[in-house]
Amino acid sequence: MRPADRSYLESHEWARLDGDVVTVGITDFAVEQLGELVYLDLPDEGRKLDKGEVFGEVESVKAVSDLLAPVAGEVVEVHSSLADELEDLQQDPMEKGWLLKIRVADGQSALAGLLDAAAYEGLVAEEH
Amino acid sequence: MSQPPLHRTSLHAAHQAAGAKLVPFAGWEMPLDYGSILEESRTVRQACGLFDVSHMGRFWFHGPKVAEELDRALGGAIVDQPVGKARYTVLLTEQGTFLDDLLTYRVAEDRFFMVVNASNREQDFAVLRQRIQNSDMEDRTLDGGGILALQGPDSRRQLALLNGGNEDFCPAFLDLAWLQTPEFGELFIARTGYTGEHGYEIFANPEQMTAVWQRLMQAGVAPVGLGARDVLRLEAGMPLYGHEIDPQTHPFEAGLRFAIKGWKTREFVGGEALRAMPEAQRRLIGLTAEKRVPRQGYPLLCNGREVGQVCSGAWSATLDKPIATAYLEQGVEGPLTVSARGREFPVEQVDLPFVPHRSRN
Repeated sequence: MRPADRSYLESHEWARLDGDVVTVGITDFAVEQLGELVYLDLPDEGRKLDKGEVFGEVESVKAVSDLLAPVAGEVVEVHSSLADELEDLQQDPMEKGWLLKIRVADGQSALAGLLDAAAYEGLVAEEH
Repeated sequence: MSQPPLHRTSLHAAHQAAGAKLVPFAGWEMPLDYGSILEESRTVRQACGLFDVSHMGRFWFHGPKVAEELDRALGGAIVDQPVGKARYTVLLTEQGTFLDDLLTYRVAEDRFFMVVNASNREQDFAVLRQRIQNSDMEDRTLDGGGILALQGPDSRRQLALLNGGNEDFCPAFLDLAWLQTPEFGELFIARTGYTGEHGYEIFANPEQMTAVWQRLMQAGVAPVGLGARDVLRLEAGMPLYGHEIDPQTHPFEAGLRFAIKGWKTREFVGGEALRAMPEAQRRLIGLTAEKRVPRQGYPLLCNGREVGQVCSGAWSATLDKPIATAYLEQGVEGPLTVSARGREFPVEQVDLPFVPHRSRN
């Protein structure tokens, strides 16, 4: 079971709320499906994102995949060193491999409509 | 939507046991990798690896006029192909464009074996059936046998394992051989491959498939999937149908003049069109990049103008950087970029192959 302290997207991003800031990453399942990672493109700090907007790309030996914003808001921190330390994303996408932090307008409702850990587990089981 | 069930090679269970990621490919369920595409690629370059490529089409031809008939049906000369040798050639449309690329193996004066791409197998057979009226032909792809490709600098030593440890046996590049082994009986082998390395393809019958595979696995030979196969063939600058070659491309622009031996004078399907063809407007080139992989369909740009398109791209395990092939308009001068989903990044034009061939060593 993946951590219940966060929400998940069907496109395999995760989002963890802390006050009014949401930390965003991709799941270990996404990384496993992608295979060996070769490239990561993340936005600049200050960028305003809509929910569902493409904020970057992750590329593996096999494929390129869009990264989707789980919430709307402003990018307040970017894990910019990660592009040169892709092994952190490869090996620990749920913690050390976080991608960016987004400040949301309303923390209470920010993660509404996303999948909880159990629902995401069901999705992964189907795709496996 | 219901899809027809995928074909499985007789090694399906062995692949599962070896931890393969099995994926649909050209109507087959095939190993993409056994954990790491890059690691498997490096293993083949540095040591040796074993591929199950039993999805490839295997045709047999027989008849007193079979060489003449194949010579007219295919892009390259066949009548002068020596018995006991393999030859790379192509199947062309009347317009001189590609239907497929393939290998012909002359096993006797009046008998040929042919290996074609899995994705084109049925179409190739139908086209050849139309073009070959007076010889017997048979598609034996689904007979339970298959093709095991043993590739890499150590492959000669590993092949000896199938032959009671006898390392004297070494057919020359493109030679066919019937190896009498104590353990597996007669093995039909050719010194061919799709990696640019010293290597062999073993055309195993249904009884030999699992036994040969297991014997090489027990000896520590690494299984290698189709993911690494694609990396290795691209590093070696070898075309793949659906990427570098298709019915919209022809041998001159693809750099495959050597595959249409005798084209100036021979009578064959596509020959007239090739002789009438104006000089090629574009040609196949190699590209390298810094970080991102140029992928199939990405536009190639020069000073903001589209001057070509990427055919294949991969992360080269050998060079540890992205490589790609592309068609580039003739006469373009200046720095090239590739547009990846709206974002441009620089690429450098290089000669093919990216990794020199060692298949004759």
